[in-house]
Amino acid sequence: MSEKHLSSQFDSDLNNISSQLMEMGGLVETQIQRAIQALARFSVALAEEVMHAEDRVDVMEIAIDHALTSVIARRQPAARDLRLLLAISKITTNLERVGDEANKIARMVKSIVEHGEARKMPIGDLRLASDLAAGLIRRALDAFARLDVNAAVTILKEDDMIDCEFKGFTRKLITYMMEDPRTISDSLDLLFLAKAIERIGDHAKNIAEFIIYIVKGTDVRHSSLPQIESALQN
Amino acid sequence: MNATPNTTLFSANRDVQAAFFVRRKWINRIALTLSLAAMIFGVFWLLWILWETLTLGFGGLSLTLFTENTPPPNDIGGLANAIWGSLLMVALATLIGAPIGVLSGIYLAEYDPRGTLAVTVRFINDLLLSAPSIVIGLFVYALIVLRFRQFSGWAGAVALALIVIPVVIRTTENMLSLIPASLREAAYALGAPKWKVITKVTLNAARAGVVTGVLLAVARISGETAPLLFTALNNQFWTTDLSGPTANLPVTIFQFAMSPYENWQQLAWGGVFLITLAVLGLNILARFLSRRA
Amino acid sequence: MTDTPTVLPIKIAVRDLNFYYGKFQALRNIHLDIPANRVTAFIGPSGCGKSTLLRVFNRMFELYPDQRAEGQLLLDGEDLLTSKQDVALIRARIGMVFQKPTPFPMSIFDNITFGVKLFENLSRIDLEERVEWALKKAALWDEVKDKLAQSGASLSGGQQQRLCIARGIAIKPELLLLDEPCSALDPISTARIEELIAELKNDYTVIIVTHNMQQAARCSDYTAYMYLGDLMEFGDTEQMFFKPNRRETEDYITGRFG
Repeated sequence: MSEKHLSSQFDSDLNNISSQLMEMGGLVETQIQRAIQALARFSVALAEEVMHAEDRVDVMEIAIDHALTSVIARRQPAARDLRLLLAISKITTNLERVGDEANKIARMVKSIVEHGEARKMPIGDLRLASDLAAGLIRRALDAFARLDVNAAVTILKEDDMIDCEFKGFTRKLITYMMEDPRTISDSLDLLFLAKAIERIGDHAKNIAEFIIYIVKGTDVRHSSLPQIESALQN
Repeated sequence: MNATPNTTLFSANRDVQAAFFVRRKWINRIALTLSLAAMIFGVFWLLWILWETLTLGFGGLSLTLFTENTPPPNDIGGLANAIWGSLLMVALATLIGAPIGVLSGIYLAEYDPRGTLAVTVRFINDLLLSAPSIVIGLFVYALIVLRFRQFSGWAGAVALALIVIPVVIRTTENMLSLIPASLREAAYALGAPKWKVITKVTLNAARAGVVTGVLLAVARISGETAPLLFTALNNQFWTTDLSGPTANLPVTIFQFAMSPYENWQQLAWGGVFLITLAVLGLNILARFLSRRA
Repeated sequence: MTDTPTVLPIKIAVRDLNFYYGKFQALRNIHLDIPANRVTAFIGPSGCGKSTLLRVFNRMFELYPDQRAEGQLLLDGEDLLTSKQDVALIRARIGMVFQKPTPFPMSIFDNITFGVKLFENLSRIDLEERVEWALKKAALWDEVKDKLAQSGASLSGGQQQRLCIARGIAIKPELLLLDEPCSALDPISTARIEELIAELKNDYTVIIVTHNMQQAARCSDYTAYMYLGDLMEFGDTEQMFFKPNRRETEDYITGRFG
């Protein structure tokens, strides 16, 4: 928020909510990274750590929603304040889902490790994708903190890369399963895992869309990239 | 607007409206003409009077008007004693009348606006305000002149003061009651006592209006003849002693204008010119003050 | 009915207050605890008695012979309505700001010292200090410091209203009553005054009457909803605007009233 409101209380309320959101984002980001590490090291302990962090994310989501209600009830925000608050409300939902996905990854990792066949599976590709997804979330949060539209557009583009990775990985898993039906169980776990990573990318994309909504006031959901870019030109 | 009946209905309405509008425009023109005519009628006489006063009075204007006393018939002289007497009596009347008027106005507006005393005083004041000045002259004549068996400047000043009082009471009360109640309440809210609220806040806020009222009262009495005719009478000499008959402009004008002597008539016009000028000046000052308020 | 947190000290307590304009009863059995160092807002439709209640607090109604109040009004435990104290002394403890700005017909400086001089005998230097202090508190100092000798009426509406607030706090009251202080002001001046109110609560207990419930939402900590002389609901402002306890309150603040 570049210019200040006449009401300093309003300013501090908004700053408060934004920083709470950043904190929640940071929490979720750590969750993803831990989940990735758990996958890389086949560590049940790390996976369990991710699962425990879930509660804190949920608490933060509720706290932010409460703060939003309070500001809307008391301040009657308008224009970009209104867009900011609406967007924050949706971003929290997205972040919470990202947390859920990280949780899902951790559960899969635990299940794969306990099954004992893990090391034969092609997890290298997954690490690449999950690094990409975690990076997207971090950059989406960065873009939110700076309300940077250009960064947001870049995120929209990169999400497509994750989708490609997902498709490729799915094909690979199918090959595995056809070659050796004993891997079907683990492959399915990995498929869910890949799906979770793909979903994280989608959430990062949503957040990027909300950043454009806050700054430009245009709703770019369900639009193609060229459409978005031409809309931003105006 | 898609249905035809609707369109015809609307256009019919518009015709009626147009007819009404033409009629209204005509009525407006007629009313405007009539009021303009009425205004011109009034202003015409006023300007004529002013013109006569100026042309005739200006001819009689000279330095001797202010330096010489009123002369015998067919002799050279001025109005110095009359001007002096008038100034003295008007000043005295204002000094007596204005404080009484302002204080009474304060009582009526601030202390007990709806009490029986206030209602009675207000009613009597209205009577006094519209009483013919000759009645006041006669009253003071009976009260003072007859008792002391002497026409005097004092009596004249009292008669004029009696005219000042109701005017000042009325303007002071009106001006004070125009002050919004919230201003008064704001002063009370700080814990101010009543007298302080009145002197520092309400009276101060109404000051321009109150002063204007006093000025208008002065303008009113500076031309009054009837009350002085029975009280101060007139005098041919310069005097600072108000216990005897005192020269004054209105009565001098009255006598000189009625006389057959040309030099007296000329002086009368000079006096009229002076009074008109003074009243004009006071009115302009009052207007200036009330605009500033 | 009331759910004031008991942890906060109570500045003023209203007990069984009834108020009459002649034969008309304007307030009915008001029972209310106003917490110290907080902003309490009175909201409600016109004629609900919110301004009347405010004018009971400094006994302003006594200026008008046909108005009377019954009940108790405890300022720090002392009943103002039966107090043996001079009403002027009570008013010196309670500042008030009105709907329309009411600058006195005197200089900005004298406007502020008017109330101060009534109860304190200060030297010129102390007076100047007090004026600066009050104007700074009212966020007006920077705008008027070079023209203290000018008439208070020469200021803009918003500045005049802040001058009135400065005048009210210059007497160092314990309680500040604001009777629709922004209803004659533009949105920018309104926002300035609301910001000021938020700061004033550090030093004073503030009660604000407003017909603008968004204003109550923005700048008060507690809100009282009044209707036809009754106190319908009193509570935490956030609670009142998120989920009021009574249906009537909800209808009013959501604009479903009448």
